[in-house]
Amino acid sequence: MRIRRFCTALAVVPLVASCAAQAVPEPTATQVPGYLAAADGALPPGGTVELQMPVDTGAAGGLDPQLADVAVSWQLMSLVYETLVTVGPDFEPLPGLAQRWETPSPTEYVFHLRPGVTFSNGRAMTAADVVGSVNRLLAGEGVWRTQIGPVESVTALDPATVRFKLSAPYTPFLSALANTPAAVLPMTEIENGSVDPAKTMLGTGPFVDTFHRQDVLWRFKRRPDYWAPGKPAVDAVNISIVPQEPTRIASLQNNSANLAVLGNVDAPQVLAGVRGVTVRAQSTTDFYYLMLNSNAPGGKFADPRVRTAINIAMDRAQIAEVATNGLGKPTGVTPVDLPDACDPATLPSATAGLDRARQLLAEAGVRDLKFVITAYATEPAPAVAQVIQQNLARIGIEVTIEQLDEGSWAGKVYGSVPAGFDAALSWFAGYAGAGMVAKWWNPEQAAFNLGFMKPNPELNRVIDKAATEPDGPNRAPVLRELCTAVDEDAQMIPLVTRPVLVGYRNDSVSPTVYATEGYGNAFRGLADFRLVGRP
Amino acid sequence: MRLVSWWVRRLVSAVLTLFVVSVLIFAASRLMPGGFAEVVLGPFATPDQRAAMAEKYGLDQSLFSQYGLWLSAVLGGDLGTSLLSGEPVAGEFGLRIPVTVELTLLGIGAAVLIGVPLGVYTAVRAGQRGGGALGRLAGGLGVSVPEFVLGSLVVFVFSRYALGLTVGGYRPLGEDLGANLRSMVLPAAVLSVFAIAVTARTTRDAVMNVLVEPYITASVARGETPLFIIGRHVLRNASIPILVVLTSTTAYLLGGAVIIEHLFNLPGIGSYVVQAVGRRDYAVVQAGVLLAAVVFVVLNMLSDAVSGVLDPRFGTQRKAAG
Repeated sequence: MRIRRFCTALAVVPLVASCAAQAVPEPTATQVPGYLAAADGALPPGGTVELQMPVDTGAAGGLDPQLADVAVSWQLMSLVYETLVTVGPDFEPLPGLAQRWETPSPTEYVFHLRPGVTFSNGRAMTAADVVGSVNRLLAGEGVWRTQIGPVESVTALDPATVRFKLSAPYTPFLSALANTPAAVLPMTEIENGSVDPAKTMLGTGPFVDTFHRQDVLWRFKRRPDYWAPGKPAVDAVNISIVPQEPTRIASLQNNSANLAVLGNVDAPQVLAGVRGVTVRAQSTTDFYYLMLNSNAPGGKFADPRVRTAINIAMDRAQIAEVATNGLGKPTGVTPVDLPDACDPATLPSATAGLDRARQLLAEAGVRDLKFVITAYATEPAPAVAQVIQQNLARIGIEVTIEQLDEGSWAGKVYGSVPAGFDAALSWFAGYAGAGMVAKWWNPEQAAFNLGFMKPNPELNRVIDKAATEPDGPNRAPVLRELCTAVDEDAQMIPLVTRPVLVGYRNDSVSPTVYATEGYGNAFRGLADFRLVGRP
Repeated sequence: MRLVSWWVRRLVSAVLTLFVVSVLIFAASRLMPGGFAEVVLGPFATPDQRAAMAEKYGLDQSLFSQYGLWLSAVLGGDLGTSLLSGEPVAGEFGLRIPVTVELTLLGIGAAVLIGVPLGVYTAVRAGQRGGGALGRLAGGLGVSVPEFVLGSLVVFVFSRYALGLTVGGYRPLGEDLGANLRSMVLPAAVLSVFAIAVTARTTRDAVMNVLVEPYITASVARGETPLFIIGRHVLRNASIPILVVLTSTTAYLLGGAVIIEHLFNLPGIGSYVVQAVGRRDYAVVQAGVLLAAVVFVVLNMLSDAVSGVLDPRFGTQRKAAG
C-alpha cells in the first residue's frame, strides 16, 4: 500500500509542477524602439549580476582581443575593452572612445578622443595608444586585420586626435572599428612588457576582471573611475560558464541566475508562463549557410548547374519556420536586418522554381545524386540540416546527415586541402556592415575556405565593389548585385539568420538588450543593467 | 614471505596496468577526429599559426616521440600543459579536485549511512512483511535507473521546486559552507543512489549469510540484544564484502561524477576532462584518464590491504587461488 502511494506521488509531482506554472506579467518591461528591454534607470544602482553563458573564450590567443575571432570572446572582452566608436540599436555608428569624428575625404577619418578616459591602472589613454593598437592589429595575424579595411596609415595629430588614411574607400570602416578586436589597448604597458594582453586584460572599459577559471567562472567588478558618470550601475558581474542547457534553464527557474543565454529555439515555449522568467529572442546578423565542396570527391559539385539546382531547392522560409522555430529569417549574403540588405525573396534562386532545378540537374547529366551534409550537433544545426534534406528530396537528391561534435566537424571541414567532405553546414557572424561578411566568399582573402571553394573573379570584383560603394541611393543596388553573385556562385549558400535567446528574471534584473545585434554581444548593455528589489 | 611475494606481484601488475592504460589513452586521444588546431585556433587560423602551435606543444613530432616525452614528464611529476589555457595541468587539477572529492565523499558517505542500515534492516526483516519488498524496490530502482536519467529528472523537478537547493550554482566549500551544501546536495544524492542500492544489496546478502551461522544462534540463546548481536557479531563478520563493495563503488562514483558534474555544472575534474575532450586538449584528457586509472588501481590495492588486515586468511587465499 505504501509502495503504491509512493509511486503515485512520483508520478504526480512532475504533473503538478507543469500545471503550477502560470503566466504572469513582466513587472519591469519597458518598450523602447530598437531594444528588447531597456533598464529602468529609476532603480537603485549596486548589486551583483549573476549571468550564465554556455561557453567560455576558447582561443589559443588567450585574452588578446586582437586575436579573438568568436562572438563569445568579444562579449566577455567588451566588458574591459572599448573601441573608438560603437554601434547603436540600428547599427548606426555612435561615439565611443572617440567623442566625434570627421571624414574629410572618402579615404580619411579624423577622430577626436574623449577626454578623461583612463585605463584601469589609472593611466590616461592617448592618441599613441590608438595608433599603437591599430598598427599592432595590422601587423598581427588576427582575422580582424582583414575586416578593418585597407588602412594605409594611422597618425597621432596631437595627444587627443588621430587620423586614419585608407588606400581606398571602405564603407564599413566605422562598423569594423566598433568591434572588440579593434579595441584601444594600453600600448605603453604592452611595449614595455609589463602587460601581456594574452594573459591580462587592461582596458578602458566599465569593468575589470578579478577572477577567471577557464570554463568555470569570470568575475568582474565595476570601475569607480570609469569615464561615463553613473556607469556601470551594478557593482559586479559574475559570469558562470554552464554548458548544459537544462541547467541554465533550471538556474533561471530557481532564481540562482539573473540572466542566461539559451540555445534551444524552443526555450520560449519551455519557459512560457514560468513566474518571473522572461525569454526574448534577439535577432542577429549571424546566419547559417550551406557549403558545397567544389573539390568534393567524385566532382559532385564541380558543375555550377548542380550547385544552382541545390540552391534553388532551398526553402529558406521553411528552414526559418521549422528549424529555428520562426525566430530566424531568410537571408542573402548581406544579413537581412542590416540597412540596404538585399531581399532574399528576390534572388534568382528564390524565384526560379523546382522545375528549373530539375532541368539544371538533367542538363548537367546528374541522376540519383547522393551526398552527405556534415553538421555539428549543436542545436538548431541538425534541424536545419533535416529541412535541407527534405528540401532536396523534392528534386530527387538524397541527403544523409552526419552529426559531429565541434572538434570532429572542424577537422573534417577545415583540416585538409582539398577538403574531403561533400557538403557542410555552419554559420558566420554577420557583423554590423552589410558588405563585411561577404569577404569570406573570396578564398584568396579567406584562405580557410580554399579547401572547398574555387576563387570566382567576377564574385571577387562585386565583393570589392560592395565594400567601397558609399552610403546613398546606389548602395542598395550594389548590395543586391553582391547577393545575386553569391547566389549564382552557390559554393556557400546563405540560408537563415541565427537567433540568440536571452532569458532573464524580470523580478531580479532590469536589463538593456538590443533587438538586433551584429557582433553577438547580447549583453552589450551590461553597464546599464539594474537589479530589481534592492533597498 | 608469501604475503610479500603477493604484494610484489600486485605492484608489478598495477604498474603494467597503468602502462597499458597510458598507451591506450595516448593513442585514443590522438585518434580522435579533428585536431587541436581546428578546434581552438578555429577556421580563420593561417597555416603558419597552426604550425607554430604544433611546434610549441611538440605536436609536430612523431607519435612515439610525443608519447615518450609525455611519459617521461609524467614519471617526473609533470602532467603537462593545457593547450587551451597554457597553465600546468597539475595546477588546473588541483583547483578542481576538491569538488570531485567532496562529491564522491558525500556519495560514499550516503552509501554508508543509508545503504548499510538498509541492508541490515532488509536482511533482518527477510521473510517478514514489507522487508523484502522494500529491499527489492530500493535495489532495483537504484541499480537500474541511469544517473543521467535520474539527474535530468531531479534538475527538472528542483528547477520548479528548489526547496532552498540550487542547480548549477556551485560555490566553493571555503567560500560559503551553506551555499556549497545547497549546491552539492542534489548531485550527491543522485550520485549516491546507485552506491546505496549496491551497498544495501551486498550488506543484505552478507548479513543473511552471517545470520545463519551457529554462533549467532548461540548469541540469541545467551539472551544478547539484537543491536549487540548485529554490532558485535554480524557487521564485523560481514564487513569484508561490504568494504570491498564500498571500495569498488568509490571508484565507480569517481566515474559517475563525470556525468553528474557535467549535468549539474560542478567545476570538478570530470566536467573539466569532458570539456577537454571536446576541445582536443590532449594533455588534460591524458592526465585525467591516467589519474582515474591510478585512483582505481590504488583503491583496489587499498581494498585488498584492508581486507587482509581484517581477515589474515585473505592474502593466503589469494595466493592459493593465484
